[in-house]
Amino acid sequence: MNAATPEKPFSLAKCRRTIQWMVVIGTLVIGLRHIMPGEASRGGSFDSFCAFGGIETILPYLFSGHMLKSTNLLNFSVLLGTLGVSLAAGRAFCGWLCGLGAIQDFVTGWTRKLFGEKQHIRGRQSTAILPLRLPAIVDRPLRYAKYLALLVILMASLYMAFPPLRDFCPVRAVFGLHMTALLWITLAVFLAGSVLVERFWCKYLCPLGATLAIFNKVSPVHLVMDNHHCNNCGRCDIECSMDIADVPHHLDHPECVRCMECLNSCARDGSLILKI
Amino acid sequence: MKIHPRYYPAIIITAYVIFLLIGILLGFGPERGGDGHGRSALMQLILTLETLA
Repeated sequence: MNAATPEKPFSLAKCRRTIQWMVVIGTLVIGLRHIMPGEASRGGSFDSFCAFGGIETILPYLFSGHMLKSTNLLNFSVLLGTLGVSLAAGRAFCGWLCGLGAIQDFVTGWTRKLFGEKQHIRGRQSTAILPLRLPAIVDRPLRYAKYLALLVILMASLYMAFPPLRDFCPVRAVFGLHMTALLWITLAVFLAGSVLVERFWCKYLCPLGATLAIFNKVSPVHLVMDNHHCNNCGRCDIECSMDIADVPHHLDHPECVRCMECLNSCARDGSLILKI
Repeated sequence: MKIHPRYYPAIIITAYVIFLLIGILLGFGPERGGDGHGRSALMQLILTLETLA
């Protein structure tokens, strides 16, 4: 008689990592297709697959009927998809479907290994010297830089022919494969930032993250804490890639990218519950 | 209502695909030739309201 094979336990972390690799490979394929001859015949430029391109070109489109060069109507659909995820689950796009977020998570993992941590144990403070956690006095004001960047970009989009962020866009620098001197500098800053601080771009500079932050307060799919189960062990605080303090009491924090690492690292079943 | 975490990735991906398809069905699809040019969305709205009035 055959014994029933035991069901493999579901790992949210592995599932997220798989999705992130698929996003990275998919975006690289789009980048590769667009350095080949005949870019115009492939549904527009590389930029037209970017959700933030939709935000950059929305004001010129509304007020003059013309989109910024290198953007395309497809930008609005990609933006709509991103807003759909945010309406359902807050900033889950940042934590699960963003190529830059994925690259930063990979860089953090490699940095930890390179700088002294043989194996990362979930919920235990990393022994690696990098990435750093910036002190709150520096970290808190820097978090507002992304909102300022969003405002400046929206204003500038009304006066520019190309998307304002285009020349400094880290997505183009990492995946675009069509490099300029400015994009090389952007790539260097992005990678150096990611080595120094976990999710450096998301925390301080990402204007798309700034746009999506508000959805954490209204999304129907969210985490809740059960006071009877949680013993405030702090494992979720250690694992939080966005360095949110006291995670169980700030589950709808605008900085949260809904990566669910807090849920993965939680030692007591039922302390954090996913609800709709 | 409690959701099992295994459904969370499916919720995200489904929401993304549905809204992306809605966008494409609304006419925000890829354009051959690159840059998008069209009539102002505000202008279209005004014209539609005028027609209705």
